[in-house]
Amino acid sequence: MSKVVDYLRSLSLKELEVKQPRRYVFEVSPDKLRDVIGGVIKVSPQTYVSAISGVDYINEGVIEVNYCLWVIEDKVMVVLKVRVPRDSPKVPTIYDLIPGALNSELEAYDLVGVVFEGNDKLRRGFLTPPEIASQNVFPLRKDFKV
Amino acid sequence: MSLIEIPVGPQHPALHEPIMLRVRADGEKVVDVQVVNGYNHRGAEKLGERNTWIKDIFLYSRVCGICNTVHAQTYTQGVEFIGGIEVPPRAQYLRTLIMELERIHSHMLICAVMAEVVGFDSLFMLMMRDREPVMMLKELVTGNRVLSDYYTLGGVRRDIDEVKKDKILKVLEKVEERVKYYKKVFLEDFTLSKRLRDVGIIKPSDAVRHSLVGPTLRGSGVKSDVRRDDPYAAYGEIPFNVITYDGCDSLSRMLVRFDETLESIEMVRYILKHLPQGPIAPKTPIRVIPKGEAFSRVEAPRGELFYHIVSLGGDKPYRVKVRTPSFHNIINGVIAYKDANIADVPVILTSVDPCVSCTERVLVIDETSGKSKVLRLKDLSRGLR
Repeated sequence: MSKVVDYLRSLSLKELEVKQPRRYVFEVSPDKLRDVIGGVIKVSPQTYVSAISGVDYINEGVIEVNYCLWVIEDKVMVVLKVRVPRDSPKVPTIYDLIPGALNSELEAYDLVGVVFEGNDKLRRGFLTPPEIASQNVFPLRKDFKV
Repeated sequence: MSLIEIPVGPQHPALHEPIMLRVRADGEKVVDVQVVNGYNHRGAEKLGERNTWIKDIFLYSRVCGICNTVHAQTYTQGVEFIGGIEVPPRAQYLRTLIMELERIHSHMLICAVMAEVVGFDSLFMLMMRDREPVMMLKELVTGNRVLSDYYTLGGVRRDIDEVKKDKILKVLEKVEERVKYYKKVFLEDFTLSKRLRDVGIIKPSDAVRHSLVGPTLRGSGVKSDVRRDDPYAAYGEIPFNVITYDGCDSLSRMLVRFDETLESIEMVRYILKHLPQGPIAPKTPIRVIPKGEAFSRVEAPRGELFYHIVSLGGDKPYRVKVRTPSFHNIINGVIAYKDANIADVPVILTSVDPCVSCTERVLVIDETSGKSKVLRLKDLSRGLR
């Protein structure tokens, strides 16, 4: 059994059911995120950020940020879901804990508009052209019309 | 001494993942590398939300030309997880077969490009010549040598027969012999060794912390391979070794690719010998997928390829997030350039097998005099004059 999954279960986080093997999905509140991820890399240092995926649930008024971490030693993918309000989508940065999260945070900021507080490298125009970056619009939000 | 800024490889509309490396150098030494991304491939995520599930297979196959079946695999297996779609064993083996053929030609390509970047043009041409029969095999199996469109939900679209099997085995025999010879050249040639050994060092702990994937990670001695750790398609049933090298340099990363090519050839032989009988696809196409989400991972030739697929039910996906291996390896791989020589920048970039415009022009700007000069990456690799 996975040490990281045991650790996350010990925190009594809400665990969601998934069909896929080797996937464990937990819901985390934004204020606890840094402690949880700090704990994960302490339990298993060979953990990297596979992706940070932002999903815009426009009908619920929520943006869901999925932190997909692959734990090399345990051979499991741990997904931490952070749900933040759509009008103020703020989560703390994890870039200082795992430097490999930088590009994923820049991408989620530029395309979905998730603000990673504490990340001093956040900038518009990382993946968007100047005419989009200069306006306050985010292409992968559902209200952005192509 | 004043710093000189050298932008390497600006955006190129004909290639996916366009990128620019803004290299700041103090004399010959690289002080800092900043990555400037392009943006034209990102439209695929937005477009995917408007297409139907089946149409998206063709869209995501086109994210990458070299590794297009792994993109189709990652997307379809994610959708199959959400929909609970069973894939027949023969289709799983055929999918694995085509992905391994793709790995062989992709690794041969980057090893050839590396030979060209270090100025060994004849080796580049020979390797490209010997890669061509593998492209032909891909055409034989799928019907096309680059963009194959081999996948469908629940299976594959073409079967192979005994004639094709024999042809594949015959071609691979020749390819194996050549790959072994090229590996020997990379190991024994004085120039290649001088240009690759101890160049672009990435320590194992840094490789993991910076989320590097694939041969770049395994070249630093970290044993991580999606095919073994998170088996998909038929990988759980096929024996193979996960290759690692401890050199942490550009040479180690290339040697990982040579050994993986040889492993892939063995895997193809095993697949052809143990190919199960039976159907290759469901009789009626699957068009509607229930609510759910999938976190799909595949070992592409460049490393872990990741798709996050969200379905709210119906005939279209709600969100498809694509994360290619080069997105991590190029942007987070900048740690490898620190204190390297300018002439080594193309070598280090090539050693992570970037999916970018490698032949794009380079603009050299002298910050003190304000003069600029246009060079090709090839000229840069031979040293600034």
